[in-house]
Amino acid sequence: MISQFFVLSQRGDNIVFRDYRGEVSKGSAEIFFRKVKFWKGDDVDEAPPVFNVDGVNYVHVKVAGLLFVATTRINISPSLVLELLQRIARIIKDYLGILNEDSLRKNFVLVYELLDEVIDFGYPQTTSTEVLKSYIFNEPIVVENAHLPNLGPAAMFVQGSKRMPGTAVTKSVVSTEPGGRKREEIFVDIIEKISVTFSSSGYILTSEIDGTIQMKSYLSGNPEIRLALNEDLRIGERGGSSHGYGSSTGGVVILDDCNFHESIHLDSFDVDRTLSLVPPDGEFSVMNYRMTQEFKPPFHVVALIEESGSCKAEVTIKVRADFPSSITANTIKIQMPLPAYTTRVSFELGSGVAGNTTDFKEATKKLEWGLKKIVGGSEHTLRAKLTFSQDSHVNLTKEAGPVNMAFTIPMYNASRLQVKYLQIAKKSKAYNPYRWVRYVTQSNSYVIRL
Amino acid sequence: MSGHDSKYFSTTKKGEIPELKEELNSQYKDKRKDAVKKVIAAMTVGKDVSSLFTDVVNCMQTENLELKKLVYLYLINYAKSQPDLAILAVNTFVKDSQDPNPLIRALAVRTMGCIRVDKITEYLCDPLERCLKDDDPYVRKTASICVAKLYDINAELVEDRGFLDTLKDLISDNNPMVVANAVAALAEIQENSKMPIFEITNNTLSKLLAALNECTEWGQVFILDALSKYKAEDAREAENIVERVTPRLQHANCAVVLSAVKMILQQMELITSTDMIRNLCKKMAPPLVTLLSAESEIQYVALRNINLIVQKRPTILAHEIKVFFCKYNDPIYVKMEKLEIMIKLASDRNIDQVLLEFKEYATEVDVDFVRKAVRAIGRCAIKLERAAERCISVLLELIKIKVNYVVQEAIIVIKDIFRRYPNTYESIIATLCESLDTLDEPEAKASMIWIIGEYAERIDNADELLESFLESFPEEPALVQLQLLTATVKLFLKKPTEGPQQMIQVVLNNATVETDNPDLRDRAYIYWRLLSTDPEAAKDVVLAEKPVISDDCDQLDSSLLNDLLANIATISSVYHKRPDAFVSRVKASVPKPDSDDITEGSEAGYSESPSHVTEATPVPGSSSLSSGTQPALVPDLLGDLIGLDNAIVPVDQTSPPSGPPLPVLLPSSSGQGLQISAQLTRRDGQIFYNILFENNSDNSLDGFMIQFNKNTFGIAAAGPLQVSQLQPGSSTTTLLLMVISQNLSAGPPSSVLQVAVKNNQQPVWYFQDKIPLHVFFLEDGRMERGVFLETWKSLPDANEITKDLPSAIVRNLDATIDHLASSNIFFIAKRKNANKDLLYLSAKTPKNTIFLVELTVLVGTPGIRCAIKTPSPEMALLFFETMETLLN
Repeated sequence: MISQFFVLSQRGDNIVFRDYRGEVSKGSAEIFFRKVKFWKGDDVDEAPPVFNVDGVNYVHVKVAGLLFVATTRINISPSLVLELLQRIARIIKDYLGILNEDSLRKNFVLVYELLDEVIDFGYPQTTSTEVLKSYIFNEPIVVENAHLPNLGPAAMFVQGSKRMPGTAVTKSVVSTEPGGRKREEIFVDIIEKISVTFSSSGYILTSEIDGTIQMKSYLSGNPEIRLALNEDLRIGERGGSSHGYGSSTGGVVILDDCNFHESIHLDSFDVDRTLSLVPPDGEFSVMNYRMTQEFKPPFHVVALIEESGSCKAEVTIKVRADFPSSITANTIKIQMPLPAYTTRVSFELGSGVAGNTTDFKEATKKLEWGLKKIVGGSEHTLRAKLTFSQDSHVNLTKEAGPVNMAFTIPMYNASRLQVKYLQIAKKSKAYNPYRWVRYVTQSNSYVIRL
Repeated sequence: MSGHDSKYFSTTKKGEIPELKEELNSQYKDKRKDAVKKVIAAMTVGKDVSSLFTDVVNCMQTENLELKKLVYLYLINYAKSQPDLAILAVNTFVKDSQDPNPLIRALAVRTMGCIRVDKITEYLCDPLERCLKDDDPYVRKTASICVAKLYDINAELVEDRGFLDTLKDLISDNNPMVVANAVAALAEIQENSKMPIFEITNNTLSKLLAALNECTEWGQVFILDALSKYKAEDAREAENIVERVTPRLQHANCAVVLSAVKMILQQMELITSTDMIRNLCKKMAPPLVTLLSAESEIQYVALRNINLIVQKRPTILAHEIKVFFCKYNDPIYVKMEKLEIMIKLASDRNIDQVLLEFKEYATEVDVDFVRKAVRAIGRCAIKLERAAERCISVLLELIKIKVNYVVQEAIIVIKDIFRRYPNTYESIIATLCESLDTLDEPEAKASMIWIIGEYAERIDNADELLESFLESFPEEPALVQLQLLTATVKLFLKKPTEGPQQMIQVVLNNATVETDNPDLRDRAYIYWRLLSTDPEAAKDVVLAEKPVISDDCDQLDSSLLNDLLANIATISSVYHKRPDAFVSRVKASVPKPDSDDITEGSEAGYSESPSHVTEATPVPGSSSLSSGTQPALVPDLLGDLIGLDNAIVPVDQTSPPSGPPLPVLLPSSSGQGLQISAQLTRRDGQIFYNILFENNSDNSLDGFMIQFNKNTFGIAAAGPLQVSQLQPGSSTTTLLLMVISQNLSAGPPSSVLQVAVKNNQQPVWYFQDKIPLHVFFLEDGRMERGVFLETWKSLPDANEITKDLPSAIVRNLDATIDHLASSNIFFIAKRKNANKDLLYLSAKTPKNTIFLVELTVLVGTPGIRCAIKTPSPEMALLFFETMETLLN
């Protein structure tokens, strides 16, 4: 089982360090950090999440800019350790409201108390925030989150993590509102990360949705909840083999695979697609799902690069938002690698340029186009004139691209999976907690080849 | 509580410790609590606050759980350094373990178990016994883990007090948390014990399978991993188990899914119904794919496991190749693994799609990834005959982009494609030749030169092309020189005209006179001799038809693969190494020679990469594709045993042991009747392990395997041990070919060689041998007199080391010189000094370490003074050891 657990800052500072078995030297954190920082492997120069130095196995994940690390000497299950590390990060966030270096340092006693309950002698005991509550006595000191601008829908997700542990709320599960009363509320977020690869001629080569239904409950007394999904939802059937719209599946949502949190009762799931559960405290994924059924991509992008004279070329990128005008995408970033001998880029934007930014990153030879928002149905165009230090000798499309796009679209979900209703078992007539059901679609890998 | 904890970090005033001491003894509870927090804050940043031990312990007797927990935290940290003081806390612990509050009872046993002080353990037993039978499941589950803690400190005590039986009873506990912890504790204890403690019987199996449904996710992993060691009795039982485990595939926790997959794969071995197997494969595919939607870190682990699974059961994911296409934001370590799996899943059906992807990757930014993508195209060409042409046209397209490293990588793989499909695709040579001037990497150059030489008769200007390389011949790396030599000879044999004739003279001259590389020189002399005596024979040799290669360079050997599959969902399956290659946790109860010092300073993990073996055969790179040597497994000791079935391992099973008897390393008294004698020897330029097995037991022994631990020279077996069944009373000797620089250990040089031998009937035997340094001395270590003098002068005096070998003796100078020469220590000169003889000798090891030796000898009298000068003085001790052996 695991020998040590520690959290390091990006600079390698030891923020939390707990030794469970005393079989790995104390210097392990330093050894680890040096190894990760100056990783030199066979093929790759980024340290893999599991590696061995001097007989000690180091397993790590990156969460919120911090390194969560476990060491072990035995042939343990690495996925168990990785899951555990992610879970510890989540528990700490549940308790502290926000996970960063500052909050960890301010709450170190609470963090150690948590770690002692979560892991005993290297064995994970419980990672349920709910269960932990009865054993934890320290109270969190809530750190104001000064860095995030405001809690717009886009800011609610911690970037960089596939399963998006951060949801809407940066509120500790144990702290109370200033009035001394807890606000009765429950958040249900349907978060989808979409990956699409377009061929140069605009066809979809691959497309995939990784979705999760995330829940965070602040309901007192743990009432039972029923969550209804699309009644005609189908699971594990393969849709049409090729991509193309309007195939025979009609409006039916077909998931390739899904899995559920252990608190979910699936008794009636097969019948009417409802999930019932008594939500534990803290944030958790009710359900994860994966879909490769064809769906309409939210953006249609056309990218072109053409020679326009000696040592010159022109890039055109056109983006069309293929969703209703009631919906607005935000924090859009489009990147395109340019030929290595590009020296200068001048930009020309179409209409409606408010909030647009353009940039040419000299070091990485990347063109960057940022848009604050895109309203559904609108179309945007960027033209860029490139100057080269030499003439291109081959097809430019081989030396530039592919274009990739990052975005967030609140209140939109590509899969059309829906929470039809969220029913809370009522304690009394007056009991009417706040219910937040929100949809968000984010890009995972949205790539347009040239 | 007031303010932020972090303020405790900021105390910088002088006299911090006295101040804290005062606060710890304050009459106010809050102040004491604050003080303990400050102490712990200081502790976490590494300050020494052990002097406050007594004061902190005094705060322990409190009703306040928060404060109690803080004190406990402090205790765990310092009890080891202050064992006597720790005793002070014992009474409170014992008292706490009977507190009415179950949290306090559990806290007490949990903490006591963490204090690894012998004196404490005696007091721990009674509370532990009570807590194992506590009414509260939280206390019982904590106590279960505590048994493992105690076993780690004092195994005997655990056995004597009968805690193991109590643990076994807890497997039937009604609380799943308790069951899970009991299983975890028993599994760990079993791991560290030779006795059968926790054997999964039919009965426990059904109990655990039942508990599986109730357990927490972590408990499910413990149980599944414990059960994975269970061997079902027949197909029916296996089917039953699989049926119970299959629902776990739906779990959101990837660890549960992978452990369930492991379990199912294992039971599938026993299942005979093809329908059932097909059905299981179908069921496993979606969860495996879903693992790729998790965090990148988990994806990586999943991909390494999938890599193994598809080698064994390619059908599971045959239709899922698309999910392995790289996303632009995948970390590089994920992309590389996906590429590997794409190659494995590539088939005639999906190759077009796959090629399209590879082509895209080959124009990306990351150089390593691009190279791997190009290589992947080549490997697909070799793997799929019908797609070879398409692969080649993609490679040609890539060459036309003229990105330097793409071109070079493409040429390297095209050379392999030519080896696979001779006389098929030569039309593209012209395109390749266009890039000739841009090649600057040795491997690419060597490949191009090989192609020119191989197809010299079809390339009109082959002589010009080769000539352009010849100008820089002396500066080229050995790899390129060897290829140039061979290619020029091929050219000459195919076109014996004036131009090539001149070229061959230049090359042969360069390669014999101007070089000090023995490989190059030897090869040049062979060609020279061949060409001058019998050109026709030269043709037969040099232009001989080469065996066709296949793409199996990343296929693991089946026995390794099976071992790794049994270790799915463990670190072993991520490194693709057997656990014993990197696990080093060693308990006192299991004395093994491979204790800590083996791993210290050595890298056993993923980070270690196979070094590229320099090619010595006339065909570059072919061995990396054909011979089935396993990459990435160099440090895997057992791994060396396999995968080299076609290697030439001289086996000399029947010949009686010649020469002096071999030293006994494992006497039959300690080997349960098996006696092993062995010695490293050098014969014909190769190192062998000469082993004698004598079976004095009553059973016949078979399935012998040998394994060498990491050592200074990285000496390891080149192939498997070839010892057949050994009947009682019989013996056999074998010569095992050894290779060096395989599993190197770091640290100061040592002659210790740790060996493990196993067979199917007995436990693994470990014994130790000494590596005589002279087995490494090369046959060409003889030095010219002048060179010797110069080298002696050029080395600093600090590199001269002298030692008296009191028991060594020379009776006859000439005989000694001959004797040393037979061990490749060559005589150079001698002189007389008074009544003593001074002998000068030299020796050389494969790493070009030279030893210049001066022996001062009084013939017929024991005692020789040995002075050596070497660029590697750290090897001096080993040299003296070997000298002493040779001169005794």
